[in-house]
Amino acid sequence: MQRVQLMVERVLKGMRSAASPGGAGGIFAALALVAVVTLILEIVKTFLELPPIAITYLIPVLIAAIRWGYLSAIVTTLAGAFCSAFFFYKPTGTIFIEDPARRLSLTIFAIVAVVSAHLAVRMRRESEIARKREKEINDLYAFSRRLAAGHSTSEIFDAIQKHLSTVVGRKVALFEPRRPADGKPEPIGESDVPQNVRAAVTAALGGNATAGMPIPDQQGNLWLVRAVSRKAPDLGVIAIDLGQQTPESEEEIRARIEAVLHDAASTLEQLGLAHALTEVRMRAESERFRDALIGSVSHELRTPLSSILGAATVLRDAPAVAADPRLVGLANVVHDESERLNNEIQNLLDATRISGEALHPKLEWAEMADVVNTALERRRGPCGAHAIDVELPGRMPLVQVDAVLIEKALGQILANAVKYSPPGSRIRIRGWQEGGVFALAVSDQGAGLSPEDSSRLGERFFRGRRHIQSTPGSGLGFWIANAFVTANGGTIEATSAGENKGATVTIRLPIPANAEQLESISSD
Amino acid sequence: MRNNWKASRVIDTATAPNVLVVDDELQIRRFLRSGFEFDGYSVSEAENGREAIRAATLRPTDLIILDLALPDLDGSQVLERIRSWSSVPIIILSVKSSEMEKVRLFELGADDYVTKPFGMAELLARSKVVLRRKTRATTGDSIVRIDRLKIDLAARNVFVDEDRLTLTPKEYRLLQVLAQHPGNVLTHQELLKEIWGLPHINDTHYLRIVVRKLRQKIESDPNRPRILLTELGVGYRLAPPNEPSDANIR
Repeated sequence: MQRVQLMVERVLKGMRSAASPGGAGGIFAALALVAVVTLILEIVKTFLELPPIAITYLIPVLIAAIRWGYLSAIVTTLAGAFCSAFFFYKPTGTIFIEDPARRLSLTIFAIVAVVSAHLAVRMRRESEIARKREKEINDLYAFSRRLAAGHSTSEIFDAIQKHLSTVVGRKVALFEPRRPADGKPEPIGESDVPQNVRAAVTAALGGNATAGMPIPDQQGNLWLVRAVSRKAPDLGVIAIDLGQQTPESEEEIRARIEAVLHDAASTLEQLGLAHALTEVRMRAESERFRDALIGSVSHELRTPLSSILGAATVLRDAPAVAADPRLVGLANVVHDESERLNNEIQNLLDATRISGEALHPKLEWAEMADVVNTALERRRGPCGAHAIDVELPGRMPLVQVDAVLIEKALGQILANAVKYSPPGSRIRIRGWQEGGVFALAVSDQGAGLSPEDSSRLGERFFRGRRHIQSTPGSGLGFWIANAFVTANGGTIEATSAGENKGATVTIRLPIPANAEQLESISSD
Repeated sequence: MRNNWKASRVIDTATAPNVLVVDDELQIRRFLRSGFEFDGYSVSEAENGREAIRAATLRPTDLIILDLALPDLDGSQVLERIRSWSSVPIIILSVKSSEMEKVRLFELGADDYVTKPFGMAELLARSKVVLRRKTRATTGDSIVRIDRLKIDLAARNVFVDEDRLTLTPKEYRLLQVLAQHPGNVLTHQELLKEIWGLPHINDTHYLRIVVRKLRQKIESDPNRPRILLTELGVGYRLAPPNEPSDANIR
């Protein structure tokens, strides 16, 4: 129904514009074209005995049809026929034509002109519609892309507002449905919304839909307030600035907006927008819950742990205890085990962050030597029993990573190397550049990897069968390292010559193309 | 070493540095008190933010150990309040170890940051560094010696052993800013603002390149720096200066 109504409106509008001064301008332009063609034919006649008179007049007819519409094409046809009879067919100077064959050809000209004008007008209209549809599809595509990228309800509403203001073609303010506890609704988009319109919006959000009559503001501009969709109240309420309108034009523009909004609302429903909104809200909710959990775990567990660990270090160094090696040993047990417990808590927290997709690496230019040094510094205690070799090239490229995450990943790999290789053995850290990649390898001389270990290493909670009894661990370390490196656009790979032949874990990070140019930054 | 322990247990209230421990957890205060007292400090305690601010105004305090999670005020508010009238060294304790949090606290004027849980030896070492820095600030010495490096801030000269270095203006400026707060962490933003100005506050790569060039001149192994140290994700600091006259602190 609404589509038919739109079509009728469009045709009526077309006719009105043809009768308007612009349309008359088209007719005059067409007549001018006829005059030009007549002049050219007069010139051609001087050296060509029988110029193609009637056919030549088809040119202005087609131009008029394409550029100014049907009416001016008809006028052009009549003018062309008149000029042919008056200027070219004998007797000239009258509209009478002596030769019956010429009379016939002129009649055929008129028929062909009218038919081709009709075709040209239709072609033009269709290409216009196609162009409009293409724009609509592009708009919709851009809109759906914004929807897909939306992480919060406000981003989605922002997208809806942009979409609606494009389709309606007027100043549009969108109001997100909120719980009353959140206070007054705030508009998205057009922010300059008068007070009485806001009151109507609040009423509409509360479910008291006004009959959809436009509300005048103090400047006399009319505002239309209605729910975006009558079926899905979740899509919010829209206020449209109609500008200053007479009662008749107001009626017309309102009908058009209603039609456009109806189409837009059904598109929004088809895109599963209501569903997307609920999903985003739920995601935000669960993220809040997870953050609260992480916060409470790290505080509630770590506070007593801090007391235990701190007290153990004070005890160990206290004069009375330090005098007796057995007591020092016991104090060390308390200290080392609390340290281990603390690391496990940290791993669990990191794992929660990863599985909740809450990893947002903060990419910055970083010096890999700093990352390696910090990882070694932080693991100085656990690494103490091993000989650590570091080989880094003299000229290293800067990489663009979240250095803190890469340091944590490297720390996990170092901890594994220490854990699975005998005290006193050598751990080698080597860095090198291979093409557009910076590689960092940690090699140990320890337990190595069986083929089964290698294939399952990336799994969360995976532990090698040989170690389950002998070496404590949660099976999270490599998995966390992998997630942190991958989040930075890198890769991680573990290789081994076999069981008890040591293992090498290699982190590879992309070197941005412009890393080389940075070297030329002046230090003057 | 053993003898030292015994000697220090008899606290000489006239010279022992006063440390104010602020934490709402009784157990933490208890081990901090023992740890500091064994090391020769005189300790006072506060269990919330208001008490901490009052204690800092009433008693002469040489060092404050401040926990971030307090029941009444946020630790960073306490830090801000105390900083409004006092430059007393403040070491922050926190269970959170986020780099963004550290940056914020350093910019509010914290002297150091220790993540819970921690060992007493580490806290004592850091306390010693911040206390030294304070005596340096009061003596107003214009020469800073770190390892083999000598920076003469008055003459604007830099030496490794006795060889004078040629530094570019930016390299010298970086060293100068850091040397004015030796041992203190300066955040990336603070350094960028000081050296390149506000428009370049996010151009971390400028800093990375100049740090690299400076390290090539002052460090014996630029890949394992001992003088110009990185605080990953936060900023840079100079290693604690050599101090032949340690005696006036401990």
